[in-house]
Amino acid sequence: MASKHGAPPTTYSPSPTRKPHQPVFSDSDADWVRPDGRGFHQCRPAFFRTAAVSAASGSAYAEFGNTKVIVSVFGPRESKKAMMYSDVGRLNCNVTYTTFATPIRGQGSDHKEFSSMLHKALEGAIMLETFPKTTVDVFALVLESGGSDLPVVVSCASLALADAGIMMYDLVAGVSVSCLGKNLVIDPILEEESCQDGSLMITCMPSRYEVSQLTVTGEWSTGNLNEAMQLCLDACSKLAKIMRSCLKEAASASHS
Amino acid sequence: MVGLSDGEKRFIHGGIDQNIRSDGRKRDAYRPIFVETGVIPQANGSARIRMGATEVIASVKAELGKPSALQPDKGKVAIFVDCSPVAEPMFEGRGGEELSTELSTALECCLLGGKSGAGAGIDLSSLVVVQGKICWDLYIDSLVISSDGNLLDALGAAIKAALSNVGVPRVNVAGGAAGDEQPEIDISDEEFLQFDTSAVPLIVTLTKVGKNYIVDATTEEESQMNSAVSVSVNRKGHICGLTKRGGAGLDPSIVLDMISVAKHISEQLINKLDSEISAAEADED
Repeated sequence: MASKHGAPPTTYSPSPTRKPHQPVFSDSDADWVRPDGRGFHQCRPAFFRTAAVSAASGSAYAEFGNTKVIVSVFGPRESKKAMMYSDVGRLNCNVTYTTFATPIRGQGSDHKEFSSMLHKALEGAIMLETFPKTTVDVFALVLESGGSDLPVVVSCASLALADAGIMMYDLVAGVSVSCLGKNLVIDPILEEESCQDGSLMITCMPSRYEVSQLTVTGEWSTGNLNEAMQLCLDACSKLAKIMRSCLKEAASASHS
Repeated sequence: MVGLSDGEKRFIHGGIDQNIRSDGRKRDAYRPIFVETGVIPQANGSARIRMGATEVIASVKAELGKPSALQPDKGKVAIFVDCSPVAEPMFEGRGGEELSTELSTALECCLLGGKSGAGAGIDLSSLVVVQGKICWDLYIDSLVISSDGNLLDALGAAIKAALSNVGVPRVNVAGGAAGDEQPEIDISDEEFLQFDTSAVPLIVTLTKVGKNYIVDATTEEESQMNSAVSVSVNRKGHICGLTKRGGAGLDPSIVLDMISVAKHISEQLINKLDSEISAAEADED
C-alpha cells in the first residue's frame, strides 16, 4: 500500500484463518458474545487511507477488521462515443471481488448487484452537473470479504471520489445492521451475516442528514426497524468523522 | 425515455400537489388490477397481471434438484426478470439487462427474506423431498410485456398470484436408499400439492414527486420522481424488505413516514389482490 505521506507504512499480516465453530444464536442465550468479542453495538475499528493507487485520479483503501477494499476513481473523462449527449456527468460504478476474497474460491461473483447499489448510493451525493458530457469511473475491488462488504465499499468509494477532487455535497458513509434472533448487531462479520435473520443497510450523507440508499431484507417490525435505523445513522455520522479526519490528514501531509 | 415539455411537467407536479393526478386518480389510489391465472400450460403455475398499461406475466416452474451442501434442509428459489423489447425498444439487446438485474435483485430482497430464511414469503423447507438429497427448485420467471411504470409492484403481485396457482406434484419416495445412494422416486401426475401463499408479501412502491408521494406511478410520473421507496409488507404488517431507487437523498424521518404509509396502503391492497386472485382461480376452473 503506497502512502504518499510520511506515516509509517501500515503492513498487516492476514490473520491465520481461524475457523470457529458456527456460533449458535438462539433467542434463549441472550448473552452470547460475538465471534470477535465486540459488543452488539460496537463497530469494528475503521482504517482509511487515501491515494492508494498512483495511476488513478483518486483512490482510497479501507480496512474494517477482515474486510479490505480498494477503490480507484478515474476521470472525469470523455464519455464513450456511443453515449448520447448528456448535460450532466455520468457515474460508472463497478464492484469486483478477487478470486481469493471469499472463504470458498471465486464466490465473489454472487454479488453482481453491488455495482448498481454502489451507483445508487453515490449518485445523490455527487454534483453531476459540474462535469457535463464526461464520465467518472469508480472501480472497487474487494481484496478480502469479511462481512459488511457493501457499506465499506460505499464509504471507501466516497473517500476516493473526494481524493479525486470530484465535487460532492457530502461524504457518503455506509453501515449495516444484522438482526440475529431478537438482537441487533452492528457492522456484522461474515459468520454473523451467514446466519442472520434480517439485515438493514443505510448509506447516508451525515452533514445533510439524508439517506442516499437503504435496503432491508428479512422480516422487521416497525419498532425494530426504527431502532436499527437510528443505530445506523448514528454510526454513519461517527464513521464520517473518521473519513473526514483521514482526508484532512492527507491534505495537511501534502502541504507540508 | 419520456420526453415531456415544461408545461406537461408542471401539469404533473401541480396535479400531484392538488391530489388529482393526470388520470384522475388520487395520490394513494392504484390503477384497477386485473389478474388472470394459469396462462402458461407448460408451467406449474402462472399468472398475468395488468395495471393500466403495465402488463407482466410470471411463471413458476418446479424441477427436482439437489439441495446445496450448506443448507440440506431447504429447497431453492430463483427469480428472474426479463424485460422484453416488445415492451420498450430500449430493452433491445443488452439494454434491458440493467433494469432486469435491478428488478430481480429487488424482488429477491423483498420476497426471499434473510439468509437464515426468516421472514421469507416462500417457506423453503417445504420444498424438501428427501433431506440433503432431493428438493424442488422453483424457477420464477417473469416477463415484462408492456411497461407503464410501477413494474416492481406489478411483478410482485404477479409472482404472488402465480405461486398461489402452483401445483407441485406429489413425490413418492421408495424407501431403503442407504448412504450416498440416490433414493428412487415416483412423481405423481395426479396428485398436486398446493402452495401456502398467505405469507408472501406484497410490494408497495411510493414514488416521491416534489413534496408528496404517490403510489402506482405511471412512466410519465416516474420520470419526474426524486426517489422511490419500495416496501414489501406481509399480512401481519411486518416489513419484509425495502429498496430505494432514485438518486436524491431522503430525510430519515421521511423514510419512516413512507414506510408507515406503505403499510397502511398494503392492508387494503392485500385484500383486494387476494380476492382478485381467488376470482381468477374460480374463472379458470
